[in-house]
Amino acid sequence: MSQTDTAESTANRTDGQGVSTTAGETVEETRSEWTNYDSDGETKVAVEDLDVHYGDDHALKGVSMDIPEESVTALIGPSGCGKSTYLRCLNRMNDRIRAASVDGTVELDGEDVYQDGVDLVELRKRVGMVFQSPNPFPKSIRENVSYGPRKHGDIETGLLARLTGRAEPEREARLVERSLERAALWDEVSDRLDDNALGLSGGQQQRLCIARCLAVDPEVILMDEPASALDPIATAKIEDLIEDLARDYTVVVVTHSMQQAARVSDQTAVFLTGGELVEYDDTEKIFENPESQRVEDYVSGKFG
Amino acid sequence: MSRSTQTALVRDDRTVYEAVAGLTVGLSGVAFALALAALFDVVGIGDPVAGVSLSVVFGGLLLALGGAVVGFGVASRLGYVDTAPQPSAGVVAAAAFTGVWFAIGAVVSGALGLGTVARLGAGTALGGVAFVTTAFPREDIGSTVPAGLLAGLAGAVLVSGAVGPSWTQPLSGYNATLFGDIVVPAIVLFASLVVGWSAAKAYGGFGARGRNVGAYVLIYLVVGSILTVLVGLVAFVTTKGLPGLFNGFGVGGEALIRWPFLTNGAGLLADIAGVFPALVGTVWLVIGAVLFAVPTGVGAAVFLSEYAEQGRFTSVVEVATNGLWSTPSIVFGLFGAAFLIPRFGNQKSLIAGMLTLGFMLLPLVLITSREAILAVPDEYRDASAALGVSKWQTIRSVVLPAAIPGVTTGVILGVGRIAGETAPILLTMGGGVLPAKSAAPNVLSGFRLSASPPFVSNPALLEATSALPYQLYALITAGLSGNIRNPQEYAWGLALTLLLVVLVFYAGGIATRYYFRQKLHQ
Repeated sequence: MSQTDTAESTANRTDGQGVSTTAGETVEETRSEWTNYDSDGETKVAVEDLDVHYGDDHALKGVSMDIPEESVTALIGPSGCGKSTYLRCLNRMNDRIRAASVDGTVELDGEDVYQDGVDLVELRKRVGMVFQSPNPFPKSIRENVSYGPRKHGDIETGLLARLTGRAEPEREARLVERSLERAALWDEVSDRLDDNALGLSGGQQQRLCIARCLAVDPEVILMDEPASALDPIATAKIEDLIEDLARDYTVVVVTHSMQQAARVSDQTAVFLTGGELVEYDDTEKIFENPESQRVEDYVSGKFG
Repeated sequence: MSRSTQTALVRDDRTVYEAVAGLTVGLSGVAFALALAALFDVVGIGDPVAGVSLSVVFGGLLLALGGAVVGFGVASRLGYVDTAPQPSAGVVAAAAFTGVWFAIGAVVSGALGLGTVARLGAGTALGGVAFVTTAFPREDIGSTVPAGLLAGLAGAVLVSGAVGPSWTQPLSGYNATLFGDIVVPAIVLFASLVVGWSAAKAYGGFGARGRNVGAYVLIYLVVGSILTVLVGLVAFVTTKGLPGLFNGFGVGGEALIRWPFLTNGAGLLADIAGVFPALVGTVWLVIGAVLFAVPTGVGAAVFLSEYAEQGRFTSVVEVATNGLWSTPSIVFGLFGAAFLIPRFGNQKSLIAGMLTLGFMLLPLVLITSREAILAVPDEYRDASAALGVSKWQTIRSVVLPAAIPGVTTGVILGVGRIAGETAPILLTMGGGVLPAKSAAPNVLSGFRLSASPPFVSNPALLEATSALPYQLYALITAGLSGNIRNPQEYAWGLALTLLLVVLVFYAGGIATRYYFRQKLHQ
């Protein structure tokens, strides 16, 4: 899809909706050119007219936004603005909420992930996710990292595999080491891979979760406020890691911290209350010279 | 009273008042413990202590404690000591003392030979006085004087010998008699509880802190007595059962250990009667029930908590399982007798017993497994789903391992119940009351393969089998003794064996739970 097409369709939609006002209070109109951001990179994920309802609650309103490859895209906005909802649409984690209904298209490398017949296992292997609070399994560090590949049958371990000679302990060890190294955790845990993961500190647990996600070799990594439960030092490590990961992966990170968005991201999308995407542009532009008055108020701390 | 280091915040010196109050609390505890011991016949209340009977010593102790407590209240009220009482002892204390003193009035006036109306009048009058004394004065008087007088009265009754070791009181209208060796410890227990509470309040200086200390003393004394009862129960069965259990026990000789009580049957040829067939029966019974109930119960719990939509259906199932768990065991026994027995060779059999007890165990396994599965954090499920792992694989490799400790707890509790069940065994599996050693079920080597259906058979499962609680029941109610020389000793040994079997299953369960907890959290 060419950039011009996207621009036109976005413009048409917004014109059709007209001025958005709520309860008699005049709200600044959202202009399509504010969200019509053209990055230099190839588009990895293209989202078009995405609407999400949780029952009667309209959580996301007609969001269109293209995420470029091998970069960090930050989603910021006040609580309840729909940024996590947006994120969870990209790997269809919203399917797990019964009341959620999703309209619109989400394309991963040009393929609609919401069409019939999509293999969720394959989709989630390609689009990994890291959650807000660290959630390692109550298993050993090694088992945590190799969990995904094992369950997908990429690595065979266990008694039967050993008996039939199909076990590949070296391959598993290599995978674990590579994933942990990539997540900047190897040096801290290499001598205790068989310890329970719950014995690690919060920051280490979160990096373990990132390693667990990397072990299935994803293309896109979604992070839902990955550092909000961590102390400043652990946060700094996660931020360094995010910047580093963007060399090979497409990273989309939801954050409450505007400083964090400014530090790590290449482009930033601002969601404001009501589930609308207000502005999406280079991070520098968003934080220094936003087009929207509401975004300017928000990033300067006057609103939200 | 000079307390130079005393500030509103820091209390670092111990006054004489506090020391005496602490001593009073301690003595109340000692009296309480001694009374418990007397109740369990560890000490006799008629035993002489320094020339007088223990009963009189108790009385003197209570008199002193009561006096001390009244003294604390008066000293505090007159301002000799530094306390922080509240305006009133409170409605709960007032109601409690009213009730207690009403009862004292009624009982004492009855003992003096008054009629019913007069007794009610006396009770009401004393109760009213107690209410006024507790509710209206300041807390330091209200919570000490009624308690102190109570202990004093109890002490006076014991010292005077009005109630003593040889005292008896036939209860008119009931075919029963009260004896002094029960009543005296009961009086001391109650009086020392009340006086200990009161002294503890004084020790804490009344007010919020005093109430806190008072509540602690009450809770500790009550918990202590409950533990004593539990330990006493086990100790009682153990001491009674040990001679039977170790009858003929020896080390060395032809076998490494000779333990006839556990290895012999109760047949006519056994030199020392034992419980081997019933012991083996009980062990197989529990194993069979667990093998049946755990897979089905856990499977149903997985379906109900992971797959079924939470709603009317699941809540109906929940109510039904809770109801089944509280269903009397005889009902399960009848079901087994009417439904299972005709399907397993039309006679009482081991497998009918196993399945009946399995049905009994099933609801508890289901309930606890469901709780345990619901308690597994959703984050694990989300994390697994986000890695693209299917629901069943998530349940198998993340949810169930995290739920195992909870499931094990349920099985432990259930095994304790079913191992001791008598009624269902009576109806579904009961074998001989005094089985010979050859009657023990031989399940392991009993399996037979055949070319025609059912292909696998096991005669041992289809035979009537004895079990420990069933044999105990039969021995005691039927009074059979066969060639058992000392049936009483044999029965107690049997009871102790049953207790030990249950404890061994417990230990196994607890070890399993511990192992999996370690695995999850270390």
